[in-house]
Amino acid sequence: MLKEKIKSTVTELLENKRIDFVIGYGAGSDAGTVRPAFVKSVEEVEQLIWSPFAVNNLAKFVMDHLYENIKIGVIVKGCDSRSVIRLVQDKVFPRENFYVIGVPCKGILDKNKVAKDFDLSGDLVDFTEQGDEVILKTSKGEFKLRKEDYLLDKCYRCETPTPVVYDVLLGEEVAPFRTDDYEDVKAIENLSVEEKSRYWDKQFEKCIRCYACRNVCSACNCRDCVFDMAEPNWVGKAANLSENTAFHLIRAWHVAGRCVDCGECSRVCPMGIPVNTLNRKMIKDMKELFAVETPGKNPEQGPVLGTFRTDDPEEFM
Amino acid sequence: MRKGYILKESFKTWLGAIKEKFPLIAPVQDDGLTLFKEVEKVDDIVLDYGITRMPPKDLFFPQTEKMFRIKNKNNVAIELESPEKVTDELVLFGVHSCDLKSILALDPVFTTRFPDRYYQERRDKTYVIGLSCTKALPTCFCTAYGINPTDADGADVHLTELGDKYLVEVVTERGEKLAAAIPGIIFEDTTNLEAEKAKLTEKVKGEIKFIDLTGVKEVLDENFELPLWEKWAQKCLGCGICTYVCPTCHCFDINDFNRGDGVGERFRCWDSCMFSDFTRMAGGHNPRPTKKERVRNRFMHKLKYHLDRYNIVGCVGCGRCVQRCPENIDIRAIISDIKGGV
Amino acid sequence: MKRLFEFIGFEPGRFHARWISGSEAQKVVETARKVTEEVRALGPNKKMRDDRC
Repeated sequence: MLKEKIKSTVTELLENKRIDFVIGYGAGSDAGTVRPAFVKSVEEVEQLIWSPFAVNNLAKFVMDHLYENIKIGVIVKGCDSRSVIRLVQDKVFPRENFYVIGVPCKGILDKNKVAKDFDLSGDLVDFTEQGDEVILKTSKGEFKLRKEDYLLDKCYRCETPTPVVYDVLLGEEVAPFRTDDYEDVKAIENLSVEEKSRYWDKQFEKCIRCYACRNVCSACNCRDCVFDMAEPNWVGKAANLSENTAFHLIRAWHVAGRCVDCGECSRVCPMGIPVNTLNRKMIKDMKELFAVETPGKNPEQGPVLGTFRTDDPEEFM
Repeated sequence: MRKGYILKESFKTWLGAIKEKFPLIAPVQDDGLTLFKEVEKVDDIVLDYGITRMPPKDLFFPQTEKMFRIKNKNNVAIELESPEKVTDELVLFGVHSCDLKSILALDPVFTTRFPDRYYQERRDKTYVIGLSCTKALPTCFCTAYGINPTDADGADVHLTELGDKYLVEVVTERGEKLAAAIPGIIFEDTTNLEAEKAKLTEKVKGEIKFIDLTGVKEVLDENFELPLWEKWAQKCLGCGICTYVCPTCHCFDINDFNRGDGVGERFRCWDSCMFSDFTRMAGGHNPRPTKKERVRNRFMHKLKYHLDRYNIVGCVGCGRCVQRCPENIDIRAIISDIKGGV
Repeated sequence: MKRLFEFIGFEPGRFHARWISGSEAQKVVETARKVTEEVRALGPNKKMRDDRC
């Protein structure tokens, strides 16, 4: 059981004082939700769980401990591990201060999709996986479902089921078995100019400027953010279509070439704006222009737009 | 309070008559979200919704609101132009009991010590029609604050769906005005309907997990420092979701927009105590320097400060923050930690 | 940058990026002329206008 493996690994790490604390998953308000758990002592290890709904990317929480002489254990899935690379490459948090506990992952369930067919309002008591089926044992009943029907959208295009970086891997390596064809981006690219404009106007109009997409992002690691500045007032605080569009474009450009496509920005958006699609458009373009991989996937590959090769295409000459 | 009913078969006609006379704001489906929006067709109104994604507060306290226009054309004298009229009369329909209560919680902030003409005018010109809940969501906990999911408190006219009729309670004088302007309510004996409403209240209350607040305020009165704040704060992203989806959060920031030619406007827009720069002073000092102070402030406001200041609840148990927090920071779990004194 | 602008519905040709050295006067002139012509043909920009005041 993965949960037991997590607990024994963390217990050992804490007992041997190899880490100061660990950021893992704890039980959330209902069966479909997890909550970050910060475990500092062996007594607290009981809080740790693993859940087929463990979607949250925990890597960015290390940013609350910049410049501390500290070693933090972080539980990461494949997608989250790219965020570790991001923070290390951006020299935000040193690799040696991370203790990366990798979890191979064949896909995380989308609680919104599952909740349409099953009652997730109880507590998650236990779960078992058999082949491609998962049985959720909740306090409101037992549900059996085919995983493939209920995964997060991002999981259907996952290229890194095994973390790309780890100090310990809890489980067998999973070879990549899916590819990313950027269908979501292509669908919008194929719209007419007017349709594109209408689609994004509708999305940006909904924005309430809560900045959750920025705060959750591991590539948004500036000490001072352009959106918090009043003088100069680069982007106005007023929530209207014009300022909201400026906000989303600037946010997307600021993480261009560094966004690791973990999808957290779209997940956290309270208004259902497909924030990540803007980033994915740029990742797709960069892959086509510069023959690179998704940022963070290959630790040897630096930020795409911070790297120069003499054979780079130069459309602007 | 006068009571009557509307037959379900003539209900849409009644709504249509309102829409003839006033802009009608009601819950509608918009790109997958249930939101209070101006209604285009009466058929678009969602009558059996659980909770709207955003609270109705922006009808009275818009996210961005122009305060006045500034003109300084030739660098001679500055002209200020206040808007003569903030809004037209309008009808806000379909507000559930938690959100109705939240309007009452906002009123003293904007209308007592520092009367706010923008809020006041919007409030004065809005007819609020409440709608009883017929079901509860797993995140609902209005009963913790003594609110029943069918309460009319805060509405001008309140409706409850019961079989083939809507029970109508005309609560305020403004409600009487609306009832007089829009015919269709049959004022007959409603004893039976009221008995049915009482049954519905018990049914919906039964679906809500009761959160007992006994002792919570007392613990907070006595303890500013509690270990639980650090525990919850470390999970917080510092985004503004909880405060923006909250029906009672009301902080704002005042900014100037400059067109670049000496013309501009002063506006206010929502601000959030969860943002790191919320309390940052001009000189750089920040009395709430870390997430711990900010998280503590928000929950102290919900559970203590608002009660201290206005003697009305600062949280109405709508559950929006519980639903939307990206890291599942759940005020119900915080309440339980406070009671445990941890 | 151009690609993302077009992705959210700006017309192709609304935004241009050119690398021109300080010694390429002729290219500056040609580019400015081309940009002006293309943008004029598109008419006034409607997106991201702030119509307050």
